[in-house]
Amino acid sequence: MKRFIGDFHVHTLLSPCAEVEMTPNHIVLRAVQNGINLLAVTDHNASGNVLAALEAGRKYGVTVLPGMEVECVEEAHIVTIFDTWGQLAQWQKIVTEARKSLPPNNANKFGGQFVVDAYDNFICEEKKMLLGACRLTAREVIDKSRALGALVFAAHIDRPSYSLLGQLGFIGEELTLDAVEISNLNVSELKEQKFRPLIGSLPYMTNSDGHNISDFIQGPKNFLEIKEPSVEEIRLALKGERDRKFKPGYFVGFNR
Amino acid sequence: MKVGEVAQLLILTKVTGRGSLEMEIKGGYTSDLLSNVMGQAKPGMIWVTMQGHHNVVAVASLLGLAAVIITGGTKIEADTITKADENELTVFSTNMSSYEVTGKLYALGIINRQ
Repeated sequence: MKRFIGDFHVHTLLSPCAEVEMTPNHIVLRAVQNGINLLAVTDHNASGNVLAALEAGRKYGVTVLPGMEVECVEEAHIVTIFDTWGQLAQWQKIVTEARKSLPPNNANKFGGQFVVDAYDNFICEEKKMLLGACRLTAREVIDKSRALGALVFAAHIDRPSYSLLGQLGFIGEELTLDAVEISNLNVSELKEQKFRPLIGSLPYMTNSDGHNISDFIQGPKNFLEIKEPSVEEIRLALKGERDRKFKPGYFVGFNR
Repeated sequence: MKVGEVAQLLILTKVTGRGSLEMEIKGGYTSDLLSNVMGQAKPGMIWVTMQGHHNVVAVASLLGLAAVIITGGTKIEADTITKADENELTVFSTNMSSYEVTGKLYALGIINRQ
């Protein structure tokens, strides 16, 4: 069994709301320096920096999983993570199709959306607005991405906006999520009391949802014991099956 | 005012079959955030929303709401209609926006008395 410190929700500078310091190269470099060895890059409805992140991961010896944070028609954020770029590319086609006819980005208002390579070189600016809901329902996002092999979790269910729990009031069993993400640092306090009745038996995850380097490093991570860094192994760990372990609420540097 | 009367006056399309049109409406609530509706809507109210997800039915039934109006021509999931019929909840559909529907309900005298 191998040990991993995993963060499954990180934005690059392709997301309009993320800082330009969030290049794939910089994210992975800082991950290595801080003992984070399993990462998923998850931009809003987009995957333009994933290949650069995969390359940077190989360069520094960090496992990077291709991912995307999708906004469903109910205006909730759902994170999808895959094993391969090919799976994500197929998923991107579906999401792009379901986001046709959205207005262009206003970079002055929302922030620029930049694609770069694994060495911090500028490639292009994405002109289409990447924020905003697609036409797929939460259930369609979950079912369709899972059919392509995704690990799927509801993002920041404890936040007032874009939370699946907030939008839908509770998370029913037909939404076959692998986990729910809690962003508040007070994980232990929130954990059993408030959300348990509303989310069924879904396990918790804690990710940084980093939009800048400081939030990325200081934000919560997860401690995993798995055979290899794959969607299937992470899923086993979340279920606590076959001796795999998944512990949310892990912090690098000042762990409790 | 009864659910059926409101439906007629606002020309709403009924998408369910089993709910009662005879229920007296005791006020209204407009929101798309289901967690907020759970905390704020009161029994007997009519609920105006753009969400077509079937959790709408669960929330409306849990609270004992009089009916739900799904606005803006939102596509209503098949599950939502099935579950509404199982729970004998009346669901309407309309192309009007939530703003228009709420205004019209208010004009009909459906207001929330403390």
